Amino acid sequence: MLVQILNGLVYGGLLYIVSVGLVLIFGLRRIVNFAHGSLFMLGAYVGFSVAAMGGFWGALLAAAIVLALVGALLDIAILQPLQREDPIVTVLVTFGLLLILEDFAQFVWGKDFLKSPVPTMFSGSVLIFGESFPVYRLVVIAVAALVALGLSVWLRLSKIGLYVRASSADPLTTAMQGVNTDRVSVIVVALGAALAGISGTISAPLLALSPSMGSYILIESFIVVVVGGLGSFAGAFIAAIVIGQVHNLGLVYVPWAATMIPFLLMVGVLIWRPTGIAGSHV
Amino acid sequence: MSELLAFSNVVSGYGDARILHDVDLTIGDGERVAVLGRNGVGKTTIVNTFLGVARLSSGEVRLAGERHSPIRHFIAARRGIALVPQGRRIIPTLTVRENLAIGGAPGRNKPWTLDRVFDLFPILRERANTPGTALSGGQQQMLAIGRALMSNPSLLVLDEPSEGLAPVIIDELAVVLRQLADAGTALLLIEQHFGLVHRVAERYYVLSKGTIVEQGHLAGISMESLKKHVAV
Ligand SMILES: Nc1ncnc2c1ncn2[C@@H]1O[C@H](COP(=O)(O)OP(=O)(O)O)[C@@H](O)[C@H]1O
Ligand SMILES: [Mg+2]
Repeated sequence: MLVQILNGLVYGGLLYIVSVGLVLIFGLRRIVNFAHGSLFMLGAYVGFSVAAMGGFWGALLAAAIVLALVGALLDIAILQPLQREDPIVTVLVTFGLLLILEDFAQFVWGKDFLKSPVPTMFSGSVLIFGESFPVYRLVVIAVAALVALGLSVWLRLSKIGLYVRASSADPLTTAMQGVNTDRVSVIVVALGAALAGISGTISAPLLALSPSMGSYILIESFIVVVVGGLGSFAGAFIAAIVIGQVHNLGLVYVPWAATMIPFLLMVGVLIWRPTGIAGSHV
Repeated sequence: MSELLAFSNVVSGYGDARILHDVDLTIGDGERVAVLGRNGVGKTTIVNTFLGVARLSSGEVRLAGERHSPIRHFIAARRGIALVPQGRRIIPTLTVRENLAIGGAPGRNKPWTLDRVFDLFPILRERANTPGTALSGGQQQMLAIGRALMSNPSLLVLDEPSEGLAPVIIDELAVVLRQLADAGTALLLIEQHFGLVHRVAERYYVLSKGTIVEQGHLAGISMESLKKHVAV
């Protein structure tokens, strides 16, 4: 049972890192980034390629840096120029980007499934209350916990974190106080993309790599963001943990219904609270 | 007296709708100017025009003598024009202290500090760690003014600050605004409350259907005759 809960935490943690990036970008830009799953996929491939020479930490760093640059470019070249257009235009453009990034990955890494090995330093298993559990999965949980902690400390205590929270709640008022919200948004989109990249890299040894691997996690992340309450970091955290557990228990006990359960959960939460767990207004 | 904010022949609006027509107005260093007008005549659109929320289709806006092309919303604050927006717009997810801290954006000299704002409005110091929107309406107005002061403006623009406030609080507001003006801050007070305008401003414009239909000095004018002037 404990092992099941830990497995749920592994998936919940990965979901959290991806979703929190969506939440960050939604807060600043008021758009749902359909390309987010592709950033996750790109992170997995970049990590895969670098890991062979640079090891696990090198891969993680490389994926974070490459994806942060992609994110900054996404904001400067696409989101900012389109900010005065109807949001639907931007959403469609991010959807187009999803297709382009998938083609790009297929061109560079091919269509076949790739398998990323578990980093040697984290190979093997440990006994937890008599049950064996892979070390690497514990590492994934730890990375997710560190991201959650680091992000909330950064948002609470740094000046930029304050600007991010302010602009997510009310970009116009924040800007009229003299905050360059465009620069805040470059930082935020870069960070959101880097987190997707990190999450792609660490999940690579657990999944098979393919250019379309981003779609599934994208959909589950949307569910997390909606259940958590659009734009809420705390809500996304809780929702990711819950959906991680539900997803995993579903796989174990009702495998035929497993992919449906998160949707049903979302529908249930929306009936109970239309603004999500932590959403107050939108 | 040097000019801080000037509109000349400004036409602006939203999308295809023109709201302001040929608006001319100026506010000089340390001046206290009011814009009066009924609901929906375009008062907030004046603010939105220099912020860049409404689109300027012809005419010119100048900030501190320089031609201002209002594209990016944060420029006005960095050029010394701070805004207390209509409805106060306190950010609900931030505490009182944090709401003030976003006003400390870079680029200006810093005579105003968190401590000085707390000295001006002691209630904000007492409630520094509560959510901004947990304050009463009057306290939220003080918070919005304090937040604007944090950017060390030479001109403070207030959009209907008396809205929804009890008469005694409006009296307090008048005292605070006079204090700020005496300390050298210019004021642009957009209001429908004659009493507040009469006590604070030295000059006024009347806006009706998007144009300035009347302007004058308040010195020596009684409240009654101000009301008559404005009743257009
Ligand atoms: N953001 C906006 N988009 C479109 N129309 C607007 C917007 N803000 C105001 N208007 C319109 O502009 C006109 C003037 O509004 P406003 O400047 O807010 O008036 P006031 O502040 O004097 O009450 C109104 O007809 C209003 O409907
Ligand atoms: Mg108004």
